[in-house]
Amino acid sequence: MSAFSRIAQSPGLAVPVLLLWTLGWALASAEEPADDVRKGRALYVSQQCWQCHGHEGQGGVAGNRIAPTRYPYEAFARLVRFTNLMPAYSPKVLSDEQLRLIYAYVRSMPEPPPLEEIPELDFD
Amino acid sequence: MKPDNQPHPAPSDREEPARVNRRDFLSSAMAAGLAATGAGAAGKASARQAADNAQAPGALPPTAAQEAMESEIPHGYSADQAREYFVRNPGSDFMLDVIRRLGLEYIATNPGSSFRGLQESIVNYGGNQAPELLTCVHEEQAAAMAHGYYKVSGKPMGVLCHGTVGLQHASMAVYNAWCDRAPMILLAGNHLEATERRAGVEWSHSAQDCVRVIRDYIKWDDMPLSLQHYAESMARALKIAMTPPAGPVAVVLDGHLQEAEAGNQRLSLFSVSVNQPPTGNEAAVAEAARWLLEAESPVIVADLMARDQEGVERLVALAEALQAPVVNQFGRMNFPNTHYLSQGSTAVAQADVVLGLELFDVWGVINTVRDRVHRDSVRKARPDARVISIGSNDLFTKSNYQNFQRFYPSDLSIAGDAQATLPMLTDAVLSGMRPARRATNAAREARWREAHSLARAQALDEARYGWNASPVSTARLYAELWNVVKDRDWALVSDDGAQSRWARRLWPIDRHYQYIGRSGGAGLGYGAPAAIGAALAHRAEGRFAVNVQKDGDLMYTPGAFWTAAYHRIPLLTVTHNNQGYHQEFMHLQRMAARRQRGIDSSWRVGNELRNPDIDFSRMAGAMGVWGEGPITDPDDLGPALARAAEVVDGGEPAFVDVRCQPR
Ligand code: HEC
Ligand SMILES: Cc1ncc(C[n+]2csc(CCOP(=O)(O)OP(=O)(O)O)c2C)c(N)n1
Ligand SMILES: [Mg+2]
Repeated sequence: MSAFSRIAQSPGLAVPVLLLWTLGWALASAEEPADDVRKGRALYVSQQCWQCHGHEGQGGVAGNRIAPTRYPYEAFARLVRFTNLMPAYSPKVLSDEQLRLIYAYVRSMPEPPPLEEIPELDFD
Repeated sequence: MKPDNQPHPAPSDREEPARVNRRDFLSSAMAAGLAATGAGAAGKASARQAADNAQAPGALPPTAAQEAMESEIPHGYSADQAREYFVRNPGSDFMLDVIRRLGLEYIATNPGSSFRGLQESIVNYGGNQAPELLTCVHEEQAAAMAHGYYKVSGKPMGVLCHGTVGLQHASMAVYNAWCDRAPMILLAGNHLEATERRAGVEWSHSAQDCVRVIRDYIKWDDMPLSLQHYAESMARALKIAMTPPAGPVAVVLDGHLQEAEAGNQRLSLFSVSVNQPPTGNEAAVAEAARWLLEAESPVIVADLMARDQEGVERLVALAEALQAPVVNQFGRMNFPNTHYLSQGSTAVAQADVVLGLELFDVWGVINTVRDRVHRDSVRKARPDARVISIGSNDLFTKSNYQNFQRFYPSDLSIAGDAQATLPMLTDAVLSGMRPARRATNAAREARWREAHSLARAQALDEARYGWNASPVSTARLYAELWNVVKDRDWALVSDDGAQSRWARRLWPIDRHYQYIGRSGGAGLGYGAPAAIGAALAHRAEGRFAVNVQKDGDLMYTPGAFWTAAYHRIPLLTVTHNNQGYHQEFMHLQRMAARRQRGIDSSWRVGNELRNPDIDFSRMAGAMGVWGEGPITDPDDLGPALARAAEVVDGGEPAFVDVRCQPR
């Protein structure tokens, strides 16, 4: 299911999240400080994001792909705190600052190689 | 439309008189009981065997001279002494004749004295051929092997074990088979007559009712008290096991009956005519066809449906007639994922009519329960969607174990075997289709073609993410494996659910035998032995079998490797080794988040399989299986798989341990 349709299914979230998404799109390409990325990586592991989203945020049956992220921070944070199928992380277990660092890490993840450069995926 | 071409059996339950100790006569006169039993390759081998037997010189009744020789008292013994020491016609020889008559080709076993009589008959009297004993190092593995073997061959295997400790061990694998509708015949040794028991262990290994431990999840059982009773119960057991919904059955082999002199009783053997699968009610099927034709957007969902390639082709015929998408839940390989009408489960959301075929869980196709504090259910289908179900679930069920899933009040419910009912339904659809409806087919086709190629492109695109990751991504695992299997006649003998379904998403799967579904009851320990049982069936067809094996699951039944090596069963096993019980990590995390306690380091407790890390390739090697790994660098994977594949091509099992991403 796409993020859009999932958000649209939670009526309370649809409007604010979509607004933030559109507004934040332009901002979501800045470079993240290396130190934040390092700390964020550690939190991504200790907060168990990898369990469902994979060590590279690649996603799978247990959670969708979250990296590289298309979301501005506000939308990303909302999706972690107010969830549909994912366990909700309250600020008590994951502070705003920690979540921001995780976000920095997720944003720093590079695009994978293009299909043309992966002969093993040349199925057809 | 092709007729339901279940192979045609011998005339029903033919009874044939026989006298015990006509060994050659009996074994050669054996008819192909199992030629009648159902799927695909099922018939062929036993039919062949029956033909061979008919040619055998021993097909003549024994001569008087032979008879005299057999009754001769061994030199130097008095008649009384001979009676004390020797048995001329052990009951278990006749028991074996019955098994052969029914056509069981293999019996998976872990030896036990409660059936030493039959074991000796199988190896000496029967020459360990059809049935051949498969040595298993745990009864659970024996039952899981039978489970996997059936799903490929369409034939039941015997599982021979102690009625007490053996069935206790076998029980979880029997439960998986029950949930997955896989027949097998459990043969349980027991000593009922108390005064005949040897002191000590034989008492501990006897029970009044040894099948009780598994009775909640088998279809039928009996404890025959005479050889004729046994012959009839075995024939009945086979019939019941194979009738949809198929499932395990058990027959107790009394120890005394096996070992005692059978004398010159007149005993009858049976050729079993296995039931043709029941079709749904004709009027109801016609009504279903009308609903499907009226529907703007009908969707077909299939789960434990196809028994063989014929089942796949029948579903293709129906889907194409309607130009309706098929959501294959892959309980069996029901529909080619290469076909444009093969669609993801989200297709259900827009359906106005849903046709469910042998669904394990009808309710779960229409609804879902969210795993939150309040387990609210959410309808996934449209509120006005009508549901037709065709399946054999209601034809046989039991109460205690709840694998029947939540009740869903289908709008039109048809009890019958879906594969057998499909031709009738497709005929009704084709004959009821008006020109105006037919004219919409082109647009429907275009829509689903586009959706199919979009989904294909998306799957390939998604597979790139984490491509160079270490541990290896599950997409990469399957992409690298594809390179190994694509030029071979391959068959996957495991389920890809824990690997984010990458086999279904990436590999072109169009043959029934290429995918065998899941364990059924989600009881762990199924993977390795079921894969080996399936690979045994593939060996007969010269296919290249592959098992993607979860690490936790493997640790329940690792001894199955030894069985694969001993019996030289070619199989490539590759681990999805995420170093733990990953499913349970996720549950623990959910609980901790819900309780706002965090989980910084506690996540490992009870869940990890590290420190010490399990050296799986050495474990495989210790049991005679060629092994490599652990592979951590994804670039090392392709070459390792290629080396392993060569071993498998040489007719042996091979193993590659791969440290993988969790899902
Ligand atoms: C137990 C599994 C699980 C864990 C652990 C988990 N997630 Fe999720 N996550 C999901 C699932 C499932 C979804 C799908 C959306 C939903 O249903 O809530 C999701 C969705 C998301 C999304 C939205 C993706 C989109 O495009 O819609 C983000 C962002 C996200 N998770 C971030 C995180 C972060 C950051 C962590 C760690 C702090 C984390 N998740 C931990 C299961 C998990
Ligand atoms: C016999 C049995 N015991 C326990 C469970 C509970 N259980 C479900 S999934 C799971 C983890 C299995 O680990 P593994 O096979 O390695 O798969 P993973 O989730 O790690 O991919 C466990 C313990 C079960 N299903 N069956
Ligand atoms: Mg695991």
